[in-house]
Amino acid sequence: MEELRKKAAELLQSGEVQMVIGYEEGTRHPRPCFISSADDTAKLIYDDRCTGNLAVYLTHKELIGGQKIAITASYFALRSILRLLTEHQIQLDKLVVLTVSAEREVIQFATTDDITAYLQTAPVPAREDDKALIEKLNAMSREERWEFWSAELSKCFKCYACRAACPMCYCTKCIVEENRPQWIQPWASTLANIEWHINRAMHMTGRCADCGACGAACPLGLPIHLLSHQIVQEVTDNFALDVNQAVSGDNALSTFKPEDKENFIR
Amino acid sequence: MSEFEPKIVAFVCNWCTYAGADLTGTSRIKYASNVKIVRFPCTGRIDFMLLLKAFAEGADGIIVSGCHPNDCHYTSGNFHARRRWVIFRGLLNFMGIDVNRIQFSWVSAAEGAKWADVVNGTVTAVRELGPYTQYRKAADYLAQQDQSIIDGQEAMIIK
Amino acid sequence: MSKIGVFICHCGENISATVDCEKVAAEAGKMDGVEFATDYKYMCSDPGQTLIKNAIKEKGLTGVVVGACSPRMHEPTFRKACAEAGLNPYLCEMSNLREHCSWVHEKNEQTTEKAIDLVKMLVEKVKKNKPLNAIKVPITKKALVIGGGIAGIQAALDIANAGQQVIMVEKEPSIGGHMSQLSETFPTLDCSQCILTPRMVEVAQHPNITLYTYAELEHLDGFIGNFKATIRLKAKSVDYKLCTGCGLCTTKCPSKKIPSEFNEGLGMRTAIYTPFPQAVPNKPVIDRANCTYYQKGKCKVCEKVCPTGAIQYDLPDQFITEDIGAVVIATGFNVLKTDFFPEYGYGKYADVLTGLQFERLASASGPTLGEIRRPSDGKVPKKIVFIACSGSRDPAKGIPYCSKICCMYTAKHAMLYQHKVHDGESYVFYMDIRAGGKNYEEFVRRAIEDDGVNYIRGRVARIYEKDGKYIVKGADTLLGSKPVEIEADMVVLATAGVSNPGAEELAQKMHVSYDAYKFFAEAHPKLKPVETNTAGIFLCGACQAPKDIPETVGMASGAAAKVIGLFSNNELTREPLIAVVNRSAPPVFSTCVGCFMCQTACPYNAIEREEIKGRDGSVIKTVAKVNPGLCQGCGTCVAFCRSKAIDMQGFSNEQMFAEVMALLNE
Repeated sequence: MEELRKKAAELLQSGEVQMVIGYEEGTRHPRPCFISSADDTAKLIYDDRCTGNLAVYLTHKELIGGQKIAITASYFALRSILRLLTEHQIQLDKLVVLTVSAEREVIQFATTDDITAYLQTAPVPAREDDKALIEKLNAMSREERWEFWSAELSKCFKCYACRAACPMCYCTKCIVEENRPQWIQPWASTLANIEWHINRAMHMTGRCADCGACGAACPLGLPIHLLSHQIVQEVTDNFALDVNQAVSGDNALSTFKPEDKENFIR
Repeated sequence: MSEFEPKIVAFVCNWCTYAGADLTGTSRIKYASNVKIVRFPCTGRIDFMLLLKAFAEGADGIIVSGCHPNDCHYTSGNFHARRRWVIFRGLLNFMGIDVNRIQFSWVSAAEGAKWADVVNGTVTAVRELGPYTQYRKAADYLAQQDQSIIDGQEAMIIK
Repeated sequence: MSKIGVFICHCGENISATVDCEKVAAEAGKMDGVEFATDYKYMCSDPGQTLIKNAIKEKGLTGVVVGACSPRMHEPTFRKACAEAGLNPYLCEMSNLREHCSWVHEKNEQTTEKAIDLVKMLVEKVKKNKPLNAIKVPITKKALVIGGGIAGIQAALDIANAGQQVIMVEKEPSIGGHMSQLSETFPTLDCSQCILTPRMVEVAQHPNITLYTYAELEHLDGFIGNFKATIRLKAKSVDYKLCTGCGLCTTKCPSKKIPSEFNEGLGMRTAIYTPFPQAVPNKPVIDRANCTYYQKGKCKVCEKVCPTGAIQYDLPDQFITEDIGAVVIATGFNVLKTDFFPEYGYGKYADVLTGLQFERLASASGPTLGEIRRPSDGKVPKKIVFIACSGSRDPAKGIPYCSKICCMYTAKHAMLYQHKVHDGESYVFYMDIRAGGKNYEEFVRRAIEDDGVNYIRGRVARIYEKDGKYIVKGADTLLGSKPVEIEADMVVLATAGVSNPGAEELAQKMHVSYDAYKFFAEAHPKLKPVETNTAGIFLCGACQAPKDIPETVGMASGAAAKVIGLFSNNELTREPLIAVVNRSAPPVFSTCVGCFMCQTACPYNAIEREEIKGRDGSVIKTVAKVNPGLCQGCGTCVAFCRSKAIDMQGFSNEQMFAEVMALLNE
C-alpha cells in the first residue's frame, strides 16, 4: 500500500500526471477517489475489496479534461482499458496504468502488450456466488429460465446505474435515448426492461471485461451481469476467443471467419 | 377453423432469398400463407431488435434468411450476420426466450423449392409450439399490474 | 401529413385469380395516411402508369405504393413513372403481391388478407421514405496499371487504345514478367518472346502510356475516380536521358557472378545490368546490393567506360504522385522453389529444377542457348523425370489448390525435351491430368502418343543421389501401386504457383482483400471476377490465382473494359441507397462516438474518419464518415452500430421499424 501511495505521490509531484484515480475507504466498501495533490495520496488503498471498475471514469471528459491521468486498475479494469484503447476512446500517452499484483507489487505498464501479458499470467479474481447461480440457471428448463428472468427483470425500474457503472457504455446517445424509431419503450415494464437488457448485453459482445460492475451497481441486486457474462461465454465458446483476446483485438461481431459454426442454420 | 395459424415474419436479403422467393412464385410452388416477407438489402442489415419487435407485436415465429456463405452479394454481410445470430441465440436461450421459434436459413436465388420448404417447415414447427403468448404477455403493460393497484389509483382520482 | 397513393395491379389474372384486388384497394383506402387507392388490370402498361402519374399530380401524393409484381422486376419502371410526374423516385415502393402472394397461395380469404397486410407494410414504410438524389462522383480519366507482365501489358494497351491515359508501374528494370522467361507456349508451341516482345515495345512507345520501370506503388489514397497514388521510382543510378543503351558498361562490369533473376539462377549477370537482351526499356540499372562501388566505395568502372556520362551514383529514390481514376492490379505470381521439398533433395541437388528453370534451359535465349544441359556438369540428360503437382493439391504442405498450369507446361516440357534430345527418355509422374482448355487435351495426347513421353500415375516419395544419378522412387497406382524406381539425370518439379512475395503488403496498401494464400480476392467469385471489393480497383492475371496466358489475357481485357466503361462518363452516377453517418446539432454534432468498429465490419473500406472542428480550428471529435463513392449499401454497419449513428438511405431504421410494426399491429 505504501509503495502505491509513494508512486502516486511521485507521479503527481513530478507533474507527470495531474490526477490519480484510485480507491479510498468508504462507509462500507472502498470507493473511488480522484487525487490531484501529492498531499492526499495517503488515503489511497488497494486490496481485494477494490473491485469497482475505475476504467469507467477514463471516458468522462468533464472529469479528465485534457489531463494526464494515473489509474490504479484492477484486473478487470485492465481489460476495459485495452478495449477502450482499441475503440479509440482513450490514449495511452495520456495515461499511466498502475496495478498491484497478487504479490503486493506495484506495476506500471508501458505498453498494451505488457498489459496483455500481465492479464494472461495474473490470476483471474474469482466470483463464486455467480458460479452457483449460473449452474442453477443452466440446470433449469427454458420455461423456468424465462420465469426467472422475466420475474427478475420486471423489477428493474431503469435507473441505468448498470450503464453508468460500465466502462463500455460511453456512447453519446444510448439506444434507450433513441426515439426515431423508439426501439425501446422508455417506461419500466417487463418487456421494455428485457429489451433494454438484451440490448445492453448484445452491445457488449467482444467488449465486455466480465467485471460484474453492472450487477454490482444495480440497486435492486438483479443479476444482470450474468447476461453480459453469458455473452463473454458465447464469444469464447463459438469464436475461440477468450475474453482477453476478445477485448484486445478486433471486435468479435465486426469480424468473422468463413468457418464459423452454423449448425443452427438450415 | 379451429387449428392455430401462426404468424410468421421473414427477414430476408434482397439478392438471394428474396429472389429465391420470387422464383418460388414464378415456379408456382404453393406454400402456407402465414408468412410475410420484409426485404432488406443484406442479412448484415438485419437488426436483432427487429426480431424482438416482431415477437412483441404478435409474431409466433420468425425466419431469417440470406445468401449461402461465400455467395453474399456484398461479400461478407452474411458472415457478419451469422456471428450476430450465434451470439443472439445464445443470449435468448439463456434468458429463456424460445429460439426454436426463429428459423435461420440460407436460400439462394435458385432455391425456389427450398424457400417453400423453409416456410412450410417453420409453419408446422411453430404450429406445434403454439402461439407465443408468453413473450407478448410481458409486453402488455397493464396486464402486469396488480388489479388492486389499478383500482386503487382510480379511487385516488375520484377523491 | 402523408398523402399516399396505393395502386393495386391485377397483372391480367396473375394476381386477381387468387387475390381480391378490389378488396385490397378498398382496404388500402382506409389505411391511415392513404389519400387515394385504386386497382387496375395492368399497372405497368402505359395507361396504368398514366393513372399513377395523374394521381400524383391531381391528389398531390407524397408517396406511392404499387401492389404488383416483385420490385426486382418493375421497381425501376414505377420509380421512373413517379419521377416523370414530379415525385422523387425514392418515394415509390412496391408491394410484392404476385411472386410472394398470388402465385404461391390458394384462392381464399387468407390470401387476400395477406395481400392487404403486404400493402400495409409498404404504406407504413413509404411514409418514412425520404427523397433521395443519385450520387455523382467525378472521375479522373487516368488508369494505374501495377505490374508489367502480360496481364498488365494487355490491360494497359486496351485502355490506352481506347484513348485513355495509363500509368504503368513495374518493379523490375524491364517489363515482360514471367512470360518473357518462357521458352515456347502451349498448346501451339509458338515462341513466347516472339509474341510478347512486340507488345512490350508497343507499351513503351504508346503515346497514352507512361511507363515507370524499377518502380513500386508506395501509397494509395482516395476512392473510385479520385485516387492519389504515390509511386517510388527506385534509383537506377543511370540517367536514362543520357543513356543510349549501348551496353558497354554491362560488358565491362567486374562483378559478374550475380545469379540472374531472369535465368532463375541458372546464369550469371553483372551488377549493372539489363535483365535480358530484349528488355524494355533496354537500358541498365545498377543493383546496388551487389555493386562493388556501393558496397566497398571503389570501382566506378561503368562510369569510366560510359561514352555519354550517364552513370550517376548518388541519385536517390524519387517519389511522384499521380491523380488517377482506376487501378488495375496485375502483379502476377511466383513458383515455389525446390527447397520447399526436402524429400526431393532439400534444394541441394543442382539438377533438380523448377519448371521455370527448365523454361530457361529450353529457351533459345537462355543460359545454354536452348540446349537441355545439366546445370551441375553441362551434360545432356538422357533420362529426365517430371513431377507434376509438386506442392499443389497437397493440404499437408499447405497448398491445397490446383495450380492449373502445371499439367500443361509439364507436357510441354517433356515434349520440348523429346524434340531436343532425340534419344532421351522422359517420365512424368502425375496425380490427374487436368487439360481443360481449347486444344489442351490434344496437346497432352500428342506428348504421350507422338513424342513417347512416359506418363506414370503416382506420386514420388523420395529422390536421392547415387553415383551421379538421381534415384526417383515412386509408385504406379494404375498398376496396383507397384513401386517404380527411375535413375534420372535430371528432375523437373512442376512446383505450385504461389502469390508474389509482398502481395499481402500491397493489398493492405490498397485496401483490397486477399485470400488465405495471399492471392488478391475478386469481388464476386462468379459475377465480378475482375473487380475487387474496393470500387475502382480491378485485378487480372495470376495475382488472383494461378492461370495460363490465354486466361490472363482475357481477364486483362475484361479489367480494361471495366476501366474504359468507368471512364466513358465524366461522372459516376450511383444509386443513393447507401449508409450515412448522422449529423446533429452541437454540442454532440453526431451521435457517433468514434469507436470505428464499423470500419472493421465494412467490406468496402468505405468508412473514413472525419474530424469535427470548432470555430478555432481545434478538433472537437473524430467521427466515422461514409464515403459515398465506395459504399455499396449492404447496411452491415447500420445493424452493427450500437448508438444508431449510422443509418441507411432507403432501408433506414425508421422505415424498417415501421414496416415490421405495421405487419402485425391489429
